[in-house]
Amino acid sequence: MKNILNTFIINKVAFVPLLFASFFLLAGCEDVIDLETETGPEQLVVDGWITNEAGPQTIKLNWSASYFNNGPAKPVLGAEVTVTDDKGKVYEFKDLAGNGQYIWGKTNADTLGHIGRTYSLKIKNQADIYTAKSELKRVPTVDSIVYRKEKLPFKPDKGPQEGYVAQFYARDFVGEGDTYWIKPLINGKPAIDKAVNISIAYDAAFGSGAPSDGLIFILPIRESLTTDSLYSAGASVGVELHSITNETFEFLKQIREQAGNGGLFAVPITNIKSNVVNADPKGIKALGLFGASAVSRKQTIIDPEKARPDED
Amino acid sequence: MKNKVLTQCILLLIFGISAATAQNRHTVSGYVKDQANGEGLIGVSVYVREAETGVVTNPYGFYSLTLPEGNYTLVFSYIGYQKVEKTANLDTDRTVSIEMSDESTDLQEVTVSTQKEDENVRGIEMSVNKVEMKTIRKMPALLGEVDLIRSIQLLPGVTSVGEGASGFNVRGGDISQNLVLLDEAPVYNSSHLFGFFSVFNPDAVKDVKLIKGGIPSLYGGRISSILDVRMKEGNSKKREINGGLGTIFSRLTYEQPFAKGKGSFIVAGRRSYIDVLAKPFLNSDLKDSKFYFYDLTAKVNYKIGEKDTFFASGYFGKDVFGGGDFGFGWGNATATARWNHVFSNKLFMNLTGYYSNYDYTLGQNQNKPDAKDKFDWKSKIISTSIKPDFTFYITPNNQLTFGGQYIYYDTRPGKAIAVSEGENTDISLEPRYADESALYIGNEQKFSDRISLQYGIRYSYFRNLGPGTEYDYIEIEKGQRKFPVLPGKQYKKGDVIQSYGNWEPRASLNIGLSSTASIKASYNRTAQYLHLLSNTAASSPLDVWTLSSGNIAPEKADQVALGWFQNFKDNTYEASVEVYYKKLYNQIDYVPGSDLLLNEYVAGDLLFGKGRAYGAEFYLKKNKGKLTGWISYTLARTERLIETVNNDDWFPARFDKPHNFTSVAIYEMGKRLSLSANFTITSGTPATFPTNRYEWGGWPIGNNINSVRNNNRIPAYHRLDLAATLKSKRKLFNVGQGEWVFSVYNVYNRRNPFSVYTRANEDTPLKTEAVRYSVIGSLIPAITYNFKF
Repeated sequence: MKNILNTFIINKVAFVPLLFASFFLLAGCEDVIDLETETGPEQLVVDGWITNEAGPQTIKLNWSASYFNNGPAKPVLGAEVTVTDDKGKVYEFKDLAGNGQYIWGKTNADTLGHIGRTYSLKIKNQADIYTAKSELKRVPTVDSIVYRKEKLPFKPDKGPQEGYVAQFYARDFVGEGDTYWIKPLINGKPAIDKAVNISIAYDAAFGSGAPSDGLIFILPIRESLTTDSLYSAGASVGVELHSITNETFEFLKQIREQAGNGGLFAVPITNIKSNVVNADPKGIKALGLFGASAVSRKQTIIDPEKARPDED
Repeated sequence: MKNKVLTQCILLLIFGISAATAQNRHTVSGYVKDQANGEGLIGVSVYVREAETGVVTNPYGFYSLTLPEGNYTLVFSYIGYQKVEKTANLDTDRTVSIEMSDESTDLQEVTVSTQKEDENVRGIEMSVNKVEMKTIRKMPALLGEVDLIRSIQLLPGVTSVGEGASGFNVRGGDISQNLVLLDEAPVYNSSHLFGFFSVFNPDAVKDVKLIKGGIPSLYGGRISSILDVRMKEGNSKKREINGGLGTIFSRLTYEQPFAKGKGSFIVAGRRSYIDVLAKPFLNSDLKDSKFYFYDLTAKVNYKIGEKDTFFASGYFGKDVFGGGDFGFGWGNATATARWNHVFSNKLFMNLTGYYSNYDYTLGQNQNKPDAKDKFDWKSKIISTSIKPDFTFYITPNNQLTFGGQYIYYDTRPGKAIAVSEGENTDISLEPRYADESALYIGNEQKFSDRISLQYGIRYSYFRNLGPGTEYDYIEIEKGQRKFPVLPGKQYKKGDVIQSYGNWEPRASLNIGLSSTASIKASYNRTAQYLHLLSNTAASSPLDVWTLSSGNIAPEKADQVALGWFQNFKDNTYEASVEVYYKKLYNQIDYVPGSDLLLNEYVAGDLLFGKGRAYGAEFYLKKNKGKLTGWISYTLARTERLIETVNNDDWFPARFDKPHNFTSVAIYEMGKRLSLSANFTITSGTPATFPTNRYEWGGWPIGNNINSVRNNNRIPAYHRLDLAATLKSKRKLFNVGQGEWVFSVYNVYNRRNPFSVYTRANEDTPLKTEAVRYSVIGSLIPAITYNFKF
């Protein structure tokens, strides 16, 4: 329920205060409290992502920490990191800055990722060897970015009261099972500050059990470029559409679920499944995900003259 | 083999009983009604002085006694009512129908129990709680809204997952394992406003009974409990109007007799009116927003002669939320038709037919046919049933019940259409059909003045029916999503996709220790073919009732209970101690990241396992005097064992609360004023916290290194509520009566946690913190005005 409701609600900014209005007497409250939890041993965390775009590619390796340790994550140093494609070509990733960010292609403008190929990550850290695999799947082109004017019935905490809701148009490929990650672009940079705002699609809609194959992305997903606040005139808005594997789709879905997991309709916390495997089945498991994606993007500057008339 | 022996035993007993009845015997039977409004009285004791035996009236107020020829005195007694004595010369079959009147208005008001005075000791029932509507009405209520389900949560063995959560948990069962009946029709979602209020209009409810154990063979279909709610029949003496203005609802009830008292009807409606009050304060953009809920309850009965009575009743309720182009709503509709017929004074039949529908809808631009973008999602479950029930009053010592039920299920787990830029896609799930039939027989037998036994058996048979597609699933990794083998196997209309049958034996024993004390024991097996798929802390209105199929086996439970019952001081005090142990089979859990909505392959997201629940319930109730009420303490545990979850070890269920103490007190200050208080303290619910965090994509993610579930507990819950009811001095328009109810919920303003969870800080996303979430964060005062004409 949460995912679907969220997808509706986060995009219908106006609906939130309305819900509050109806519950004004019963509105729940949240207080930050101290909580003592036990701590487990450190685990290796892979935050690696390669794309079909030219330029450097980065794989970050960190250690996990105790839950309430709010210091920066401790980097994994001195590991050997390689990515091999299904044709046997090996790409070496080096941590030149010594900060746990293993980079390929700092010195050239080549392209690592190619649609249709499968990439295997191998990490050798001291005695431990970790591997992960991801396919780089096809991505449709983004046709356009459009926006409409919206006036909120209240003064929001963030952003203007009167502004624009942006959406993108693209069509899912025919053939069931394409999965996508939709990232809003603000001033040319992907911007997802909160994990609850992760926008993903299975074909053109929400999930695998309800096929929506070959469609233009359906409405709540199309408007997921607009998250917590409206855009102002003159803002640079866009979308970065990533093809992802079904495994990555599940991973992102669970991150989003965990991030938004409060209130009456919380689900039991479960650990998010990693696609990184320790070669020694008895060794300490790794966390995180190694992903690959093809990217298509489009952006625009909001011009009030070109805004779509409000349908309502 | 075991079943065969059992059947033979039953036949032998019945045969033996019939032989015993071949003497020269006659039957006295009739109805017992309330003189004030003509409502049938349930559970009135009818005692035959000369024969030192008796019966109690059934849910329609009917009784029947078969005795050897002779002169007898029948003593009708019922707590809060004047005793009635009638003589009957049994030279032939006789009908003795009576009306009973209140001892006095005052005494009636302090009455807590509708049962006969020592029924809790003498009767065969155990693990049964009855709360009189008059008591529920006096108890402090959230926002002053008298609420049946919230009141039930104060009884021993009953808990809830937290404030504002829908439904209730009985003896370690989840909310979907309670059969909630409104005039015998099942209510699939008993909540308004996500669970804050229940759908039963207190003005239209006559009797409430919660059966937690020793479930008679008459009932089936859910494994944990039966909540049997019976609606008022309508005043058959005079016109009556009741109503009230509360904080949430305004209510109006109308009752009237017709055909010279042979028939009567009641119509009751409620509607929330926050939206009406809020309208002037909303600016133009919110003008079209909707947030309200309402329900309408109606019942009519008509009596033809002494032998036949017809009842028709219905409920219709909806919750509606929406704003702009967004809409969300849910509701139940039920309709029941009943025919009571008395064959030969000894055989009572109730034939019930019902229809029950629960549906919800969610979407965008749903009512705009030409919208370019649209999302229209609906789901519903419809059940239609016919159910004959017979009671054969063979002798005062043998009361045989038998009957059956047939239910047809028509479910639409999800009908959804997405329109994107004018393109239509139907992402609906297939409709699913099934039927459930049951036959049962049971006998309540008194072996002596001290020992009685109720035994019976129910056989239930369930068929998942075509048309439909059934999938096989492949498990790639234990405990993770299973994937369907496509295409699934197609079944045509009339095909049986899967069937299940279950024998459900039931037995209860009462051994009297003295006239005021007894020991009772019971065993019951129950089966359930309908499963509410819900992986959230509180059940949401969107949860889908799913039928058993080849991939989802029926849930089953075995329960044993043992209890000691004692009354003190002329039945002023009732005390009981009960212990129970319950085993649950085929319990459902969910894979990580499960998708339960609009998922054709939802069975692949389910995990199965078993459960166990055990506990002790201590209960002391005061029935008479100026001060009435009860104290209840439950020490209990409920656990689940689900493959791969919690490292394949037992873990406490989400609603496990080891300690649960409640007390309710109502004090009559005089003719006009009554005061009441509730106090509750329970253990916090279990919780799972991460031990570690890691960063991915710029977000902190929690991880529990031990992969455990529910190994922590949130702080305890406690709350005090107070209320005062003041009757107006002056008559309302010279004829009516008015009263004010002042209440304060959560008097000492405690922020009771519903849950404690961890999250990333709103402003500094990489900072992790723990949060206590309280549904109600302050004290809530309320004023309600009720009137009666």
